[in-house]
Amino acid sequence: MTPRLFEAQNGPLWDELEQALDRAEKRPRDKSQDKEKKAAKPAGKPKPLDGARLAELYRRACEHLALSQARAYPIHLTQRLESLTQRAHRLIYRRHDYGVARLRQLVLIDFPQAVRQQRWYLLAATLLFVVPAIAMGLACYFDPGFILHIASAEQAQEFDQMYSGSERALGRTRTASTDWQMFGYYVMHNIGIGFQCFAGGLFLGIGSVFFILFNGVFLGAVAGYLTGRGHVENFWSFVVTHGAFELTAIVLAGAAGLQLGHALLAPGRHTRLQALRRAASEAIVIVYGVIGMLVIAAAIEAFWSSARWVLPEVKYGVGGACWLFVFAYLGWQGRPARVSPSPARSVHAG
Amino acid sequence: MAAEHQAVSLDTLYTAETPEGIALSLRPAGAAARALAYMVDLGVRFGLFMVVSIAAIPLGGMGQGLLLVSYFLLEWFYPVFFELTGSGATPGKRMFGLQVVMDSGLPVTPAAALTRNLLRAADFFPFLYASGLLTMLLRRDFKRMGDLAAGTLVVYADTVALHGQLPDAAATAPTRALAPREQAAIVAWAGRAKRLTPARLDELAQLARSVTPGQGGDATGRLLGVAQWLVGNRHDPRRTGERP
Repeated sequence: MTPRLFEAQNGPLWDELEQALDRAEKRPRDKSQDKEKKAAKPAGKPKPLDGARLAELYRRACEHLALSQARAYPIHLTQRLESLTQRAHRLIYRRHDYGVARLRQLVLIDFPQAVRQQRWYLLAATLLFVVPAIAMGLACYFDPGFILHIASAEQAQEFDQMYSGSERALGRTRTASTDWQMFGYYVMHNIGIGFQCFAGGLFLGIGSVFFILFNGVFLGAVAGYLTGRGHVENFWSFVVTHGAFELTAIVLAGAAGLQLGHALLAPGRHTRLQALRRAASEAIVIVYGVIGMLVIAAAIEAFWSSARWVLPEVKYGVGGACWLFVFAYLGWQGRPARVSPSPARSVHAG
Repeated sequence: MAAEHQAVSLDTLYTAETPEGIALSLRPAGAAARALAYMVDLGVRFGLFMVVSIAAIPLGGMGQGLLLVSYFLLEWFYPVFFELTGSGATPGKRMFGLQVVMDSGLPVTPAAALTRNLLRAADFFPFLYASGLLTMLLRRDFKRMGDLAAGTLVVYADTVALHGQLPDAAATAPTRALAPREQAAIVAWAGRAKRLTPARLDELAQLARSVTPGQGGDATGRLLGVAQWLVGNRHDPRRTGERP
């Protein structure tokens, strides 16, 4: 069959596919062609897109493309078929799972399940965060001068002032609009830290380790220092509630980063690249959750933690409840309902 | 993946295979085009931020909060948002005809768009996207690290047509039966007629003298005739015109 005959026989089919694609994409690809078409068919009411027909046209076009390539037909012919099949391919295999249902699935099932699946990375990240935090905390508690190893004297003074009982102290003079300002600051700053912990994983995990350690050391030092200086109530009642979300989220982001790093260091049976892609697609689910948790944390930190009219005892209570809630959510949410093994199945198994 | 198993070739065409077994050719975009697109996006983001700040300043503290949140959103989610729209490209990328796709040739998924953009933090390290640039320059498909992890590819949205329609010529049968490879070569040569200089076209036509009937004179015209004959314009009475 000569190329010309081939084109003449199948041309109408390609035109139909092209028109269907133009309609589905709702944006004219080639304006000059479009005008010609309009001139040719001035009054044609567009029919609703027929998915089955489109799929059939697509398969035929694929077949024609293969033939055209194998028989080395003129390039303009092959290229037209190539672009048609590419467009149809994109249209047919497009993913549609957006929206509320997907979000529900993510919050109720996917995120907590992903966290439990990565429990070893989570354990490692937790240890990297908690151990130096406790060590630094104790050091700064017993020797307040120790904080000068990681912060300047001015910074230490600032911490002092923020949590002291003075007028300039945290939350004392704050108004509603300052709360909003702080909310914006916490969103930008804390989620940025979370993303750093995750992205640092690409450097063989070293970046993640560094950021988790750094945050652990810094937070531990500040907590120990302020506790040692006697700002116990001001400090702990401030951090207890949002810490449940914030610290957990930072550690989770670090765990996601460690997962990337581990995939690069020890790819197992995959190539390094494949391992990285798999790890990233698993870790990104955790990052979704991290973003959500950090937004919650920012809101709590800005509007609740700093509220001076709430008694510290109430804050401790609410904070404790939040910690319990976070652990329970990550630990149990989305577990499949336990089915009692039926006798019939155990017979088969035996 | 498929591209990695092919023999080393000069061009950077990336081949993705579909479930139907056809090969999609994608043209990855290089560092220069992407850097330019990034600069444009930077400008757009800056402009948007200016607009927000003008609106936010009278709001006091709440406006400041809004400003910080919008900065955060512009920094991290501006590309994600635009990559998930129909064109798969931020305004800057669209300006330079670029598009983000999965390396299977499909539109980018939300998870992949988020992954590649969050990992920009790693590509930025230690300054000015040095790591990302280095990875891009080391790879044939110009992926930065975020692209590697997300399995995405930045490609030129439109394919270039290197060959066009065959120019008109009176169809003439070749003097002998031609092997498929020879046929393909002649048809491809004719398709390039508009891109090559007449002298070069003729030079190439001289190489194929053995298949054209008659000697001397207009080798290009006669070989174009053979090409027309090969594509199938064998008995078309309308095509009597000659190449000028």
